Amino acid sequence: MTTATTATVPRRRRRLSAIARQDRVGLFYVAPFFVHFVLFGAIPIVFTTALAFFNADFQTYYDFITTHQLSVLTNAFAGLENFRELFKDSYFWLALRNTFSIWLISTVPQLVIAFGLASLLANARLRASTFWRTVLMVPNITSVLAVAIVFQQLFGRDFGIVNVLLHYVGQKPVEWVAGTIPSHAAIATMINWRWLGYNSLIFLAAILAIPKELYESASLDGASRWQTVRYVTIPQMKNTITFMLVMGTIGGLGLFVEPLTYGGGFDGGANSQFLTMTLYLYKQAFMNQRLGYGAAIGVGITLVVMVISAINFMITRRIAGEESK
Amino acid sequence: MKLGSLSRGVLGCALAFGLAFAGVGPSAQAASNVTLTVWSYGNVFEPKIVDMYRKAHPNVTIKITKMNLDDEHNKLLYALPSRAVPDIAAVEMAYMGQFRQPMIAAQFTNLNTLGASKIAKDYLPFRWTQGTGLNGSQIGIPTDVGGLAVAYRTDLFKKAGFPTKRDQVAALWPTWDRFITVGKQFQNKVPGVGFMDSTGTLFAAVLNQGTQKYYDSKTRAAIYRTNPTVKQAFDIAAKAGCTFMKNNKCAGSIGTKINQFSPDWGAAMNKGAFATVLAPAWMLDYIKQQAPGTKGKWDIAAVPGGGGNMGGSMLTIPKKAANVKAAWDFVSWYLAPAQQLKTFQLYGLFPTTHKMYSQPSIKNYKDPFFNNAPVGAIYSSSALKLKPIYAGAKDRLIDSTFGQALARITQGTQTKSCGKFAAQTSGAAWCQALQDIQHNIGQ
Repeated sequence: MTTATTATVPRRRRRLSAIARQDRVGLFYVAPFFVHFVLFGAIPIVFTTALAFFNADFQTYYDFITTHQLSVLTNAFAGLENFRELFKDSYFWLALRNTFSIWLISTVPQLVIAFGLASLLANARLRASTFWRTVLMVPNITSVLAVAIVFQQLFGRDFGIVNVLLHYVGQKPVEWVAGTIPSHAAIATMINWRWLGYNSLIFLAAILAIPKELYESASLDGASRWQTVRYVTIPQMKNTITFMLVMGTIGGLGLFVEPLTYGGGFDGGANSQFLTMTLYLYKQAFMNQRLGYGAAIGVGITLVVMVISAINFMITRRIAGEESK
Repeated sequence: MKLGSLSRGVLGCALAFGLAFAGVGPSAQAASNVTLTVWSYGNVFEPKIVDMYRKAHPNVTIKITKMNLDDEHNKLLYALPSRAVPDIAAVEMAYMGQFRQPMIAAQFTNLNTLGASKIAKDYLPFRWTQGTGLNGSQIGIPTDVGGLAVAYRTDLFKKAGFPTKRDQVAALWPTWDRFITVGKQFQNKVPGVGFMDSTGTLFAAVLNQGTQKYYDSKTRAAIYRTNPTVKQAFDIAAKAGCTFMKNNKCAGSIGTKINQFSPDWGAAMNKGAFATVLAPAWMLDYIKQQAPGTKGKWDIAAVPGGGGNMGGSMLTIPKKAANVKAAWDFVSWYLAPAQQLKTFQLYGLFPTTHKMYSQPSIKNYKDPFFNNAPVGAIYSSSALKLKPIYAGAKDRLIDSTFGQALARITQGTQTKSCGKFAAQTSGAAWCQALQDIQHNIGQ
């Protein structure tokens, strides 16, 4: 950039090239991120979006890779066909409903409980607080597969501990896999167990960062405990809550490993009762080899995430608005 | 889901297949250093046995990467045309139909060029054919053969007042219909105990006794909706999975609601919560591992129809593999008759090298865990009765969809009506399965 403009002005050139050198060093520092992003982020996104417009399966892939004929691709071009099919595909809408259901059952209680736990941990009189914080993180570093195996045992229909306990209190066994809502609850429990501690610690950090003076002035104004939480703590944690909502949305709508391992297959249960959107993508793209349609499902998921993010944004703006009250 | 668990069983077959060493003879390989990369799932390769090969070939390093069953096959499918392929890849039977397609088969080394045609006569013809690509090249060497028999609990049969001797037991069920009738009688006499572990396993058992599955062996067209064997297999499994209805819900079956290979399954086996398991040879080792305390309480009888097969794998060498020769040396050693015999003696996996079936070490082999049942004789006669069955491109997906339908019947979750069939009927489950398959594979 600099060479063209500075060619006729030697003095400025020296100064600018120093800056340019600095720029280059800076670029060097940030390069790993951008290289990684381009390779594993940007290219796959562009590729997937383009793929969604093709009627491509492994046959197309093999044809193209062995013949290198462009006609293979032009013949496979399908325009909006995949999206039209997606719109009419009852399994995609079922997967959307299932995903939302599991997401709601896992996110809402999780954030509330995490907030409560964080408040407990923030208490200055709590002993061995580092120990408790470490304990909270343990589930998060446990392998998902191990979690799945343990939860399958807990929620076994005939010999699982949960149903055995229910039996002792006189309840009928719950169909933790065959039932729709029970299976969602079981999967949500798996997610909650893993992420509760992590979310608590994020909340805790945010709570500890709130200046003490705000609480002091609130108590001087005679604010009740609830009012303090409502008008001091929550608005102060605006950024944290936004972060958690965004991460929760991405994680929740991209739900894949838990339902896959819980049911032991890509079908999401005999009645597709816990088939999630990404599981359906996997099934169509890789079990059914319909790469183009799988890509269209991926674009569909992206659109859904965008809509939810917009809603999140509005909620966050509301919290920000209340801050000024 | 039931079939999902079947495939895991198959994976278990892979698990069991493994131990295979007899005297590791000196190999004619040149002593240059070679690293063999291997893609696998389950326990296709038993580490100890691989170690034996390593010891005899210090110049060969064998790196085995284990993946989830479906992941391994999908990864292989897209890697094949590139150089990012392993030297050896295990392929499961449910996927063989896909990899046999001419275009894909062409991406594997034709093992006949390495001498496979010379050893072909050693292997069961129908298993060997399963490893032949539709382009005519030999892409895989078969590992073990499942065969099929019924493992049953003699103590529970006694309780029901049934005969316990294996020949008399087999005489109880000359047909699958009789098998279901016997199951109903059993459950009336021994309440609280399932006659079978999982009725969904009947589907594959009946289906594999035919000669065609979901695709026509000549035209390769999808025939899953018209092939009478598919409907028959579905009807038998459905009938066993729901023996009577109550309040418009399935209220009885001749099996438990437990999925094979789930944690509940092992617990139930130990507690004697079911009396029979459809058992390919590799299943016997599972029973021993899951319920060691039930030793001596089991016996083995012939399956209705006599023959049967479930599972099995192939070892393949991709065309673009870096070390084709060394890979072949390992594969041909691993699956040679001598090694397969050892595998059978140690792990109960049944050899695909049928020439050995008449040898005393197999013919006279009895298993004390199963009340000294002549395991060798039972499984060899079962394996020899089988004809080749044509595997198609999307067998795995179709298997799984029919499995879902059968599970819906047993669970009472067939909530949708379909065509002229009301909700909660097996007709609706069949009808929805056909719609789902059509929706997915488009034919």
